[in-house]
Amino acid sequence: MKVSYQWLKALAPELRASPDELAERLAARGFPVEEMEDLARGLEGLVVGRVLKVSEHPNADRLRLCDVDPGSGESVQVVCGAPVIVEGGLYPFAPVGSTLPGGMELRKAKIRGETSYGMLCSEKELELGPDAGGIMELEGDLEPGLELARALGLDDLRLDVEVTPNRPDLLSHRGVAREVAPEGEDGLTLPAIPGEDPTVAAKVDGLETVVDREEASADGVTVRIEAPERCGAYLGLVVRGVEVGPSPPWLQTRLRAAGARPINNVVDATNYVLLELGHPLHAFDLDRIQDRTVVVRRARKGEKIRTLDGEERALTSEMLGICDAQRPVAVAGVMGGEDSEVGEGTSDVLLECALFTPGPIRATRKTLGLSTDASYRFERGVDPEGLKEAILRAARVILATAGGKVEGPIVEVRPKPFSRPEVPLRPSRVETLLGVAFSAETLRGLLEPLGFQVALPSSTAANGDGAAAGEGDDALRVTVPGFRSWDVGREVDLIEEVARVYGYEAFPDTLGPYRPGSVPDHPLFALEDELRQRLVARGLLEAHTLAFAPKGEGEVALLNPISAEEGFLRRWLLPGLLGRVEYNLARGNRDVRLFELGTVFRGGSPGERPREATHLTLVLHGRRQPRHWSRKDEPVEIWDLQGLLDEVVEAVAPGDWKVVPAQEVTNWSETLPGSLLDPDVSLTVVDGQGRPVGQAGRVRPESLDLPPWAGQVWGAELSLPPEPAPRPEVQYVPLSTHPAVDRDLALVVDRTQPVARVLGLMRREGGEHLRDLQVFDLYEGEGVPQGKRSVAVRLRFQAPDRTLKDREVDARVDHLGQTLHDEMGVAIRGRDD
Amino acid sequence: MSQNGSLVEDLQRLESQALQAVAEAATPDALEEVRITFLGRKDGRISSILRRLGELDPEERPRVGAEANRIKSRLQDALSEREGTLERDGEGDEGGLDLTLPARRPWQGGRHPVTRVIDELVEIFRGLGFTRARGPEVETEWYNFEALNTPLDHPAADEQDTLYLKGGHLLRSHTSPVQVRVMEAHRPPIRVLAPGMVYRRDSYDATHTPGFAQLEGLAVDEGITFVDLKATLAEFARRYWGPGTRIRFRPSFFPFTEPSAEVDVKRVVRRPDGTEEESDWLEIMGAGMVDPAVLDAAGIDSERYTGFAFGMGPGRIGLLKYGIPDLRLYLDNDIRFLQQFSGP
Repeated sequence: MKVSYQWLKALAPELRASPDELAERLAARGFPVEEMEDLARGLEGLVVGRVLKVSEHPNADRLRLCDVDPGSGESVQVVCGAPVIVEGGLYPFAPVGSTLPGGMELRKAKIRGETSYGMLCSEKELELGPDAGGIMELEGDLEPGLELARALGLDDLRLDVEVTPNRPDLLSHRGVAREVAPEGEDGLTLPAIPGEDPTVAAKVDGLETVVDREEASADGVTVRIEAPERCGAYLGLVVRGVEVGPSPPWLQTRLRAAGARPINNVVDATNYVLLELGHPLHAFDLDRIQDRTVVVRRARKGEKIRTLDGEERALTSEMLGICDAQRPVAVAGVMGGEDSEVGEGTSDVLLECALFTPGPIRATRKTLGLSTDASYRFERGVDPEGLKEAILRAARVILATAGGKVEGPIVEVRPKPFSRPEVPLRPSRVETLLGVAFSAETLRGLLEPLGFQVALPSSTAANGDGAAAGEGDDALRVTVPGFRSWDVGREVDLIEEVARVYGYEAFPDTLGPYRPGSVPDHPLFALEDELRQRLVARGLLEAHTLAFAPKGEGEVALLNPISAEEGFLRRWLLPGLLGRVEYNLARGNRDVRLFELGTVFRGGSPGERPREATHLTLVLHGRRQPRHWSRKDEPVEIWDLQGLLDEVVEAVAPGDWKVVPAQEVTNWSETLPGSLLDPDVSLTVVDGQGRPVGQAGRVRPESLDLPPWAGQVWGAELSLPPEPAPRPEVQYVPLSTHPAVDRDLALVVDRTQPVARVLGLMRREGGEHLRDLQVFDLYEGEGVPQGKRSVAVRLRFQAPDRTLKDREVDARVDHLGQTLHDEMGVAIRGRDD
Repeated sequence: MSQNGSLVEDLQRLESQALQAVAEAATPDALEEVRITFLGRKDGRISSILRRLGELDPEERPRVGAEANRIKSRLQDALSEREGTLERDGEGDEGGLDLTLPARRPWQGGRHPVTRVIDELVEIFRGLGFTRARGPEVETEWYNFEALNTPLDHPAADEQDTLYLKGGHLLRSHTSPVQVRVMEAHRPPIRVLAPGMVYRRDSYDATHTPGFAQLEGLAVDEGITFVDLKATLAEFARRYWGPGTRIRFRPSFFPFTEPSAEVDVKRVVRRPDGTEEESDWLEIMGAGMVDPAVLDAAGIDSERYTGFAFGMGPGRIGLLKYGIPDLRLYLDNDIRFLQQFSGP
């Protein structure tokens, strides 16, 4: 809401606060001033000048010499090229030494041999309007030398006040004034309308009203409401014989100061009232209203209207139309029609001031994509009690600026009379919620300046009247004025008002005792913490990407996406993170080690929420270890990825989940898109039941856009359990004090035989004393038969309670050799089997 | 027995002699000499002892043999390690160790800066009795708006431009739906934090991204007042930004709290010359007393229980804390950016 400081002061004459103090007061009430604009900026040093005499320039046809009185008592010569300069006229004058808003500094200048001591200015040069054709004439009884900004009513500030959506009453100067005036409601007045005839004003204010619930006629106009659920009231008033033209300067100045654009005196009058009182009004050209009948009804399918912005709009039965006997003439509460617009030919005007139901206005505004000052206010709620005041004030402004006359009566259709809500307020409840005790008297003192009427409970009321029996004996009865009826209907709404007016800063902030929460910490957070910790310790950096994905990488489509590239919700994390690898490699960041924890989405059954899961993804590219002078660079390999994955799996489901070669699992429905990974170099994570829960491996180079020097990119993704089980406690295993016995074996294994199976068999058959089993070498070539490889394994045997005998160990090793041979055809090198 | 004992002792004595000799060998040649002295096939001192195994009682042989093998293997490890060291010393500096050379460090990983902020915030609120709760990122209009006292046809529902899915669901525009889900599932006393991603239909610029992290807090119990809200947040602010930090409450409007407030902080900033000054007021969160309609919608008796809620943007707090100029840096995930947050 753009607020004129001068307008506020006109409404609240007792307001003495400087603009800065005002901004502070508004912020403390919850309405910060986002911007403060000095309307006089750029006009400093410029004054009103009177042209005393105009004479020909001796050396130029188009230039003239003016004697200008700048108010100093001594006239100066000014060379001027304007086509019309009136002797005795008042004009904006920029003396030598002043600066124009555009930055031009005025100096004494010789123009075709004549000295000019300043400049008479056009609108354009003052940046006040587009007119560059001539110098700007000033109207009114102005003294030469008066500051130009004051003469133009621009000694004002425009405050851009941020108004929260619950406070439509603040979308007017009077509403803002009520919040900041020292005496609140009681300190407010309506400013006089310049040039108004007091007898006319009295006549207008005394007009009768013809009221009905459905249809009423007066002064030749009929109004009917056929959609009472959409229109709470409709007031009409005819002004006849207006002369449409530009508004007088005072009105234009007011509108401009509040950020509005002057149009003509009739329209400006309605906008003036909108900005002053918050009521949207509309002026129709009465002659364009068929049968002089206004019908408020839902639009019919197929009906169209060309609105004031020149657009033709198709209406639906969900929209409310203001119609004449035949067709819609306005989209109710949003915008009028071009056809019934008030223009130069208009003589009789029908003023409309109505009350529309907020929800449907909002729906219409959204459907039409058309937000206006009117729809903005109707959506939030306008004062149901202020319609008559608003329509009368608009009529008075029109009469004072466009002439004409008003006969009346006012026609008013109101399906349901408004009655002020009465809300009980218990001082005890105020204390329960705010933590500070307030007396009934104090509460009244805080609420009444905002326009609430407060009746004290009978026990404390001075003379015992007015307090109705209510919510307990101590409850105050608070009557809510119409302009606050939209946001105050409950006790808590009043308590907020109490806190706000008392001042948030006045509440103490001493920490008292409290009970800790009883909701358990969600276990997935702890797992995420642990995964982060482990991966960070392994030198990975955490990445954050958003949940959006292009088609093909998501199943769940957005209705109103930001862009086509972000039209879906991601099904996997890895593609997004690979995008970050590309981003980094394109910037020359060669060693990329990233991980991300995030949510992925799968289409649910129709009508159901999509299924969500938290996934972990990681990517590796570049060197295995940072470059160091002591060693050669080595690239990351599958073993590095697998090792990380092992660690992750250990954190997620120790002893339960496993990492196995991808070939062993065929049924993973979660396979990453477009065969992102090379199936020959990839791994699958399976849960305790053997169900695949993750995938890892070499990313196919063809699915990436990488610079030519890039190496292999490794990626992994796995889904985390939604409610991770508590981690089993570590169980201490006693340390043996007896020596261990190591045996090294070289196994000759068929190349097609997975080593893990060989090791698994050895663990199974190794006996209770097999403590450890490690592969320490892998060899193919000379000395090993074709198609086989030698796997060197170190076995360590140890008993907890005694020293193992050589022959026990030998027997076990023999048994292993035999079983390996029988079950897998594995031979042991250097043994005679 | 005594003989075996002494044989094992001999071996162990040799072990410590040998290890010392390895450590003292200053050149590869000297090291080779050590190897021959102890492990030489013919005259090596350990080999010699092993040859005497045959003299032992067959019962005792394995124990002595095992010990000898252990020592042999340990010695071999020591030799190759020393060998490596000597080679590198030779490469690096003929004259000796230059300890000014760059050391060998592993990769430095790091949490995302937004995670760092969330973790810090969580840590502080954990100390104030809060636990963590989570909820879905795709929500219904009920949880995102209506249960939060925000009728769909009220302009307040427009304040955050919501991203909808085909089929009527939406991406939550704030973490507040978690409040409702927690209150439906648990009885007071409730003190929870809900960190998580939220989404709005904003285009990308320095101060907006269509998705960002939010951290919601909720406390519901008997006797919770506006003073408790102020006190809790003031305590939080002092713990997070330092003891001199002040907070300011300004009235505001959120449909799901009443009274509602914007919360600003003013930090004490240490200048490079050691003197201190106060920062400007910085807007850091929204807060308020839980609206009774929200409690009632979640099945909690609003006459008996009261509560407060607050919400903040860890990403924005990170901007202030780390001096990051642009929210988009969080999503670029440039390694050079992320590495700056790899400290502990």
